[in-house]
Amino acid sequence: MAEDGEQAAVSPQGEAGEEAAETGAAAAAAAGSAEPVLPAAGSPGTEEPAGDARKKIDVLLKAVGDTPIMRTKKWAVERTRTIQGLVDFIKKFLKLMASEQLFIYVNQSFAPSPDQEVGTLYECFGSDGKLVLHYCKTQAWG
Amino acid sequence: MRQRSTPRPARRPPPPSASAAAPGSGPERGGRPKPGGSGAAPEPRGRAAHARVGGAAPGFLPGAAAPARGGPQFQPKKRTRSTCASLLLGRMTDDKDVLRDVWFGRIPTCFTLYQDEITEREAEPYYLLLPRISYLTLVTDKVKKHFQKVMRQEEINEIWFEYEGTPLKWHYPIGLLFDLHASNTALPWNITVHFKNFPEKDLLHCHSKDVIEAHFMACIKEADALKHKSQVINEMQKKDHKQLWMGLQNDKFEQFWAINRKLMEYPPEDNGFRYIPFRIYQATTERPFIQKLFRPIASGGQLHTLGDLLKDVCPSAITPEGVSYLGFNRAFPAAQPCVVAFDCSSYTPSVPV
Repeated sequence: MAEDGEQAAVSPQGEAGEEAAETGAAAAAAAGSAEPVLPAAGSPGTEEPAGDARKKIDVLLKAVGDTPIMRTKKWAVERTRTIQGLVDFIKKFLKLMASEQLFIYVNQSFAPSPDQEVGTLYECFGSDGKLVLHYCKTQAWG
Repeated sequence: MRQRSTPRPARRPPPPSASAAAPGSGPERGGRPKPGGSGAAPEPRGRAAHARVGGAAPGFLPGAAAPARGGPQFQPKKRTRSTCASLLLGRMTDDKDVLRDVWFGRIPTCFTLYQDEITEREAEPYYLLLPRISYLTLVTDKVKKHFQKVMRQEEINEIWFEYEGTPLKWHYPIGLLFDLHASNTALPWNITVHFKNFPEKDLLHCHSKDVIEAHFMACIKEADALKHKSQVINEMQKKDHKQLWMGLQNDKFEQFWAINRKLMEYPPEDNGFRYIPFRIYQATTERPFIQKLFRPIASGGQLHTLGDLLKDVCPSAITPEGVSYLGFNRAFPAAQPCVVAFDCSSYTPSVPV
């Protein structure tokens, strides 16, 4: 999948067709020209976050160990999306069972709390304009 | 900044029918452990009696600092950046009374079973002194046992706690929960206990102590990532990590600080921690907390103060009168250098403003 610098302005809602079939993703970028975007964060009834919170950040997902590698590694994610939200998304993408565990690590050193927002992590631990997160089916860094 | 109407929670003797059990799995104790050298409950040090608030996430800054104690002021010979910072820091780490006050802060709490829970006989309330620095699910085994005695096995699911309709996040330190939700109310803090209808959207599950330990260690690691690029925590052995946790779980100040001291150090040639680990919680907003990169030392070489921190990351919190913060059991003036505040409060999250 093309990974150019452009970001999609709006998250696509709902399932994408053949993309979903191939990758299992619930969201996909418009035909290769923009960066893939996660489905809009938040449950029905959540208010639209104002100002900065609507800007998305770039997240690079790296697999650890023998965890399946995602075909699409770079995603534009809303700042208010939580780690739990990201975990659910990756599990769906990789077609993992809901009961299977998935651990996410920042800086290859700590596992953020499931309710932590990726925007805050990006502010504190992002580099080169993106937040690198490692994901693993087993505990990698304790 | 909210002023509390009542001074720091005084320890009230529990009613005869309940037991004021010690927190965590430590030995049974009749009451509040006494910090070295003083039998009375420590009063807040420094200027005014501002409300005491605190909360903590291990490794994070509270937004509060202890004013320097009485005694000779330290006069650095040469005003170099590193000398200044490390001397102040060294001084506060030596001030064990301050560290002890933070560690041994307690909140008298009354646990009541939710009225809709089904019981075989009436459930009496349970009184407990909760340690500010610990976590609800770590220190409430006795509470759980007390209520489960009057319930049938099939009615019992994962325990969760609520205050005036708000589910209490167990992964926030107890002191923070109190300061955010109940600091302006009379004591004891009245918490409702539930065993049904776990609020999935509001709370994380806590199926075992391992979950609490993992969360605690993750906080310590995140803080060290900001302070030392994770170098100090990564150089430690597994047994040192375990000692931090056991110190918290068993309420062992010396055991904890023997290791935490290393996480609070930095070599003088480095100008303090790389970034101050802090979180600012506000009761008035939906946002979980504010956490940003903030250096301890300004470009001119002087130490950033707590006032600088707030101005930078949370300017809406500053009132015309200025701000005062509350850390664990003490007020901290806004002029206090961040690195000092951080040191004496060890792990602390920032406090509600």
